[in-house]
Amino acid sequence: MKIGRFVLAALLALLLASPAMAQEAVDYENVDPSGQTVTFWHQHSRERETALLEIVEEFNTTNEYGITVVAEYQGGYDDIFQKMVALLGTQDTPNIVVAYQNQAATYQLVDGLVDMTPLVESERWGLTQEDIDDFFPGFWQSDIFPSFDNQRLGIAPNRSMEMLYYNQSWLDELREQGLIDFEGPPTTPEQFEAAACAASENAFSGATATGRPYGYELSIDASRFASWTFAFGGNVYDAETNRYTLDDPGAIAAMEFLQGLFEKGCAVFVSEQYGDQTNFGAGRTLFTVSSSSGLPFYQSAVEAGAGFEWNVAAIPHTTPEPVMNVYGASVSLPAGHTPEETVAAWLFLKYYTGTEAQAAWATASQYFPVRESVAAGLTEFFESLPPYQTAFELLDYGIAEPNVPGYDFVRALIDSEMAAIMDGADVAETLTFANREANLILDDQMAQLD
Amino acid sequence: MSTITPTRRPTRRRVQARERREWLTAYLFVLPATLVIAVFGLFPIAYSVYMSLHRWRIRKGDFIGLSNYTSTFGDWWGAAAFFGGLLLILVAHWLWTDAFRGDRQGAPTYAKALGALTLLGAGVAIALGWGLMMEAGNRVYLNGLVRTVYYGFGSVPIQIALALVLATLLFQKIRGQQLFRMLYFLPYVTPAVAGAAIFRNIFSPREERLANQVLGWVGIEPQRWLFETRPVSQLLFGGLFPDASFTGFWAGPSLALVVVILFGIWTYTGYNAVIFLAGLGNIAPELYDAAAIDGADKRQQFRFITVPLLAPVTFYLTVLGFIGTFQAFTHLYVMRSGATRDAVDTASIVIFDTFYRRNDFSMAAAQSVILFVIILILTLMQNRFFGRRALGG
Repeated sequence: MKIGRFVLAALLALLLASPAMAQEAVDYENVDPSGQTVTFWHQHSRERETALLEIVEEFNTTNEYGITVVAEYQGGYDDIFQKMVALLGTQDTPNIVVAYQNQAATYQLVDGLVDMTPLVESERWGLTQEDIDDFFPGFWQSDIFPSFDNQRLGIAPNRSMEMLYYNQSWLDELREQGLIDFEGPPTTPEQFEAAACAASENAFSGATATGRPYGYELSIDASRFASWTFAFGGNVYDAETNRYTLDDPGAIAAMEFLQGLFEKGCAVFVSEQYGDQTNFGAGRTLFTVSSSSGLPFYQSAVEAGAGFEWNVAAIPHTTPEPVMNVYGASVSLPAGHTPEETVAAWLFLKYYTGTEAQAAWATASQYFPVRESVAAGLTEFFESLPPYQTAFELLDYGIAEPNVPGYDFVRALIDSEMAAIMDGADVAETLTFANREANLILDDQMAQLD
Repeated sequence: MSTITPTRRPTRRRVQARERREWLTAYLFVLPATLVIAVFGLFPIAYSVYMSLHRWRIRKGDFIGLSNYTSTFGDWWGAAAFFGGLLLILVAHWLWTDAFRGDRQGAPTYAKALGALTLLGAGVAIALGWGLMMEAGNRVYLNGLVRTVYYGFGSVPIQIALALVLATLLFQKIRGQQLFRMLYFLPYVTPAVAGAAIFRNIFSPREERLANQVLGWVGIEPQRWLFETRPVSQLLFGGLFPDASFTGFWAGPSLALVVVILFGIWTYTGYNAVIFLAGLGNIAPELYDAAAIDGADKRQQFRFITVPLLAPVTFYLTVLGFIGTFQAFTHLYVMRSGATRDAVDTASIVIFDTFYRRNDFSMAAAQSVILFVIILILTLMQNRFFGRRALGG
C-alpha cells in the first residue's frame, strides 16, 4: 500500500484507539436547546442540495429556539462513511449525519450514535402516536436495529424503491405481433421472460440506437439480488435469528430464473455506468430494474431518445402481492455531543421528516416521502410524472435489506456470486457458499460487541 | 615513544573536535528530512505492524500475536517454504556469479552447477509453499497476490521495452520531435480515474465499442473484455483443447486483467520514454561515431552502446515500475465492477476492501505488511540481479 494509506490507517487507528465511548442515559426533558448550532453532513448535490438548503433555511428562521443548522456537503455516502469512521469518539463528528443502515450499525459497534428512542418517545420533544402512524411502516421500522437491542439509530427522511421500468410501446408491438399474450406490464416471471426473449429478437420500431436489442439488462448489484429474491417469496436475512438467508429457496428460484434468461440470450449485463438507462431511453432495452430515484433520469433519457410510452411497475413476482425492496439512507445523530446539541439536532430532524418539509423535499428530490399524509400535497407532482404515482402506490409493499454491520462487504460478496451464477455457476451450490461466507462476516462483525 | 605521545594527543583532540562539529552540522542538516521520513514513512510502517498484532476493527482489541498472519498464510511451513524459496533464488544467483570466484573471472563450473541446483530447489520450495498456503490460507488475498504478480510482470517489461524503442526513435533527428514527446507523455499526466473510465468504455463488452469494432474488422467475435473473468489462455486455446483445465497460476491472467495491464502500459510507456531520452542525451556521440568507423551498423550500435549505457536508467525504471504496479490501486478500483468479480482485484484492492468494507483494520494491516515484505524482497532481487551491472558495481 502507498505510504499515504499507511498514514491514514495509522491516524484512524490512533483516533479509534481512544477509550470506548460508553453512552450514558440522558434526561432530555429538561434540556434547553436554545441558541445551539448544529452541523449536518449530507451527500446531496445540485438541485437536491438547493432544496435541502431551503428546508434548512426555513427551519433556521422559524424554529422557536433560535437553533441554527449548518448543512455541509461532504461527498458521497462512502466519503462520509470514511470520514465518520475516522472521527468516531471525538467531538469533531457532525451533530447529524446521513448514513445507510449498515453504516449506522458499523458506527454503533463503538457506540458512535445516539439511540433516538428516548427522543422519539419524549413527552416534550417527541412524536405523537398519530405522527408515528403517518410514517410508512416499512420506513419507520428500517432504522430500528434488532442486532443492537432494538435501538433507533436513525430516522428516514426519504426512501427509494427498486422498480421494473418497461417500454409500453414496445410491449404493445410484441403483443400485436402475437409474441406475448398479456396487456400492460408483466406481473409474473413467465410473462417477463416471454416479453424479454421476444424483445431480444424483435427490435423496437422506434429505437434510436443501433445494435442488437436487449430484453432485460441486469446490473450486478446486491439490491437487484434482494429485489428478485423478495419477488420470488424469499428473503436475504432473517431478523429473528439474525442470520443471512442467501440460500433461501426464493433466492435460489430467483437466481435460477435470471440464469435461465442469460442462457437463452434474453438478458445481458449492464456493461457501462447507467448504460441500461441510456439503452432504455433509446428503445434498445425493454426492461430494466432500477431505483425509483432514477425516475427523472429515465424520463430525460426517453425524452431525449426514442420518446415512447413507458412506466414503472412491481417486479414480476410469484407472491400473491408484490414485495418491493425499499432502501435509502437515513439521518443519524452521532454521539459525543452535549444533550443541548442533540435535542437541537433532533428538533431539526423532526421538522425535516414533518409533512410540510416532506412535501417540499419529495417534490424537489423526487425521492419518496416517508409519510402517507404527504400524498395529498403531491397531486400536481403526480400529474407531471405519472410513473412516480405508480411507484408511490406500491410503497405499502416495501421491505428493507439487512441493517447489520458489514453488509457492504456482504454486498460485494453477493455481487461476485451473482455474476458467477449468470456466467453459469451452479445456483444452489453458489448461494450455499455465499450464505456461509456472509454469516461468517456477520459473526466477525458482531464479535466486536463482545 | 613517550616523548612523542604528548605532542600527538592535542592534535588528535583538535581533529576529533572538528570532526564532531562537522558531524553535528551534517546531522542537523539531515534532521528535518529524517524526522519527516520517520514520522510519515517509518512510523506508519511500524504502526501497521503493531496494528496487525492486535484484534483491531473499529476499535483496538486484545493482543493476538501472529493470528492475522496465520489466517492469511494458513500454513506457516508453507509460508516458510515460499519466502525461503524466494531467498534461495538470491543464494542461487550468488552461487552462480560470486561464490568461489576469488581472483578468477566467473565462478567455476561446480559452483554454477550448485547454483543451478539451488535455483531448482527454490522453484520447488516456492511451488510447494504456495500450494500449502492456498489450501489453508486466505485465498482472496493470496489470489490477489497472484494477480499482482501478473500485473507487474505483464506490464513492466513491456513498458520498458516499448519505451526504449520509442525513446531511441524520438532521439533521431525527426520533425515534430517535441510534439511526439508531449503526446507520449500525455497518458502519464492524465488523471488515472479519467483514463480508466475511458478504458472501461473502450473495452466494454458491447459489440459497438471500439475494441470490439477493431476485432470485428479482422473477423474476430466480440469479447467481454473487462467482464471476462476466464484466463486468456482458455480463450485462446480452449477451443483446441476442450478437455484441458485452465486453472491455477500457469493459466495466466484473465482477459479483464489483461485490459488493466494494457492500461498500465499505455500510462507509463511515455513517461519511461522521456526518462530514457534523458539517459540517451548523456551518451557521448563520439561513441557512435567510433562504432560507425569500426563498421557497426545501427542495430549493433543500439545493442552494444545504447542498451548497456542506459542500464542504470533501465534499472531505475524497472525498480520503480515493479514497486508501482505492486502498489497500484486507483485505475484498478475504477475498472472493477460487479460482473468483473474478483478478476482484477490485486493485493492492494483486497487490502482496501478488508479495511473499509470488512472494517478489519488489523487484518488489512497484516496484509499490508506482507505486501511490503514481498516488495522489499523483489527490490532486493532486482538489486542483486541487475543493480551491480547497471550501476557499475
